[in-house]
Amino acid sequence: MEPDAATRKESDSLALVAQYSGALAVVFSVATACRAILPQTGYLFSALMFLMAIVLAGTRWHRGPVILMAILSALTWNFVFLQPQFTFLIHNPGDLAVFALFFIVALSMGHLTSNLRQREDALERHHRERESLLAERHRANLLAESERLHRTLLDSVSHELKTPITIIRTALDGLASPNPYTAEITTATRRLQHIVDNFLGMTRVEADALRPNLNWEELHDVIRAATSPLEEEFRSRPLLISGLDSLPLLKLDSRLLAQALSNILHNAASYSPQGSSVEISASFLANSLEISVRDHGKGIPDGAENAVFDKFYRGPDVHAGGTGLGLAIARGLVRSMRGDISARNHPDGGACFTIRLPAQAAPLSP
Amino acid sequence: MNKVVIIDDEPQVRRLLSMVLKSRNYEVHEAEDGPSGLQHIAFLRPDAVLLDLGLPAMDGLSVLKRLREWSEVPVLILSVRDEEALKVEALEAGADDYVTKPFGTAELLARLAVIQRRCFTRQHPEITAGNLTLNLLHHEASLAGDRLKLTPTEFSLLHTLAEHAGRIVTFGQIIRRVWPAQLSDQSEALRVHISHLRRKLGTTGPQIINEPAIGYRLIDS
Repeated sequence: MEPDAATRKESDSLALVAQYSGALAVVFSVATACRAILPQTGYLFSALMFLMAIVLAGTRWHRGPVILMAILSALTWNFVFLQPQFTFLIHNPGDLAVFALFFIVALSMGHLTSNLRQREDALERHHRERESLLAERHRANLLAESERLHRTLLDSVSHELKTPITIIRTALDGLASPNPYTAEITTATRRLQHIVDNFLGMTRVEADALRPNLNWEELHDVIRAATSPLEEEFRSRPLLISGLDSLPLLKLDSRLLAQALSNILHNAASYSPQGSSVEISASFLANSLEISVRDHGKGIPDGAENAVFDKFYRGPDVHAGGTGLGLAIARGLVRSMRGDISARNHPDGGACFTIRLPAQAAPLSP
Repeated sequence: MNKVVIIDDEPQVRRLLSMVLKSRNYEVHEAEDGPSGLQHIAFLRPDAVLLDLGLPAMDGLSVLKRLREWSEVPVLILSVRDEEALKVEALEAGADDYVTKPFGTAELLARLAVIQRRCFTRQHPEITAGNLTLNLLHHEASLAGDRLKLTPTEFSLLHTLAEHAGRIVTFGQIIRRVWPAQLSDQSEALRVHISHLRRKLGTTGPQIINEPAIGYRLIDS
């Protein structure tokens, strides 16, 4: 039983005890009061007083105390007010009839009023339950609606932004003539696309709209998906990959991981000189996948190892064209998969980013 | 001349795609929404359809489902990124392949050409993809003339991919073809066999490319 229900039950039984004692007290007080004014009012008045007390009690108390009160009242009335007094005997047949009637009326009154009250209570409880249920449903609806709205907004914004970029790209492809201006527009379009992708990525990460979808994957495939959009960046920077062959199949969301890795690789390419290599290495130990990306650039400014993952963080000597979102998105993506990401400078120079991710390894491994 | 119907609600996208395709000698017809697109397809009997998934009113997926009730015309889906689940749904509902906006013209034309080269017919006992040849009669595979040693599962897997060479095949479609009687999740087995197959195909043969969250594609190296 829940603690809440237990305390409620306890307080209910306490109230019942109080009502039983109340019943005794009321009968006693009515008897005393009526006894005091008996010479002025007569014994029938006291019978009516008892009945009134029973009706009043019935509107507030449980059935048990009210029935007890009805029986007690009948007996008390007989004992105190009917001749011969202070005995339960009744000699006068008229009085006997009145006593019988009193007894029946008192019992039925108690029964009826408490019945009425119970029905009222049940109705109220039902009403309250219904109301809380409705409120609950309303809250759930609101939540679902706001989530749906958010998604719809993301989808429509992403559609709106991507359509013009598609059009520009298709039109540029159509021009085809080797014109230096065309090359500039192509570069700018790529950059614009990168910015749009980053803003949408950040919105998704912040909207908590990422639901990792785990599947058995080869890390080869993840790395290929991460590097294939960066062909341009790595044309002049050799990409050295090691450690993949010893990895088992892993259960992970390849799309989210590839996107995070892609952002880190893009960052590495942006901050390292042309011709220098970028190295990816991976290892799997104790259900944890570790992927490191090392470049041969200037490295991370001292003390900025955490700050590089902040939104809009830009290094002191920044290159043009970045949004300062790539690494923040990478961290958001990795965290959505319950992993984390860290940065440090390699002892031999250059920055080293490491993704650590909990992952299950397949029992059947290739 | 090959006929193509473009169904996209963006007039500029339609205009540009139609310019690109006309320059490659396609006969192009445009439709701005699902119902008129379906009408065009019914009247014109095109050789291929370009279908935007994000159409207003009747969405692309519904158009596709309606279309597949009476037509086998090759359909290329135009979609935006981060819609993997929707793409898989469209592919399983009978779309032949997809390109993701913003796409390059070369990619679009290549996909369009591949989906028009329909599946090899069942009557044909031999399938080729690049230097890979599959003999269905004898269940034999050879790479540049050398015989490949494949297990029956690997052969069936390679058969499924080679039959759709150049086109995406979803994980679900592969699993249903290769393990038709299995009710349990075969995705792990699929990855293991793909890994073995890749090793056997080496770097000289066609490559099996993974498209995250969607499926595999066999391409000529």
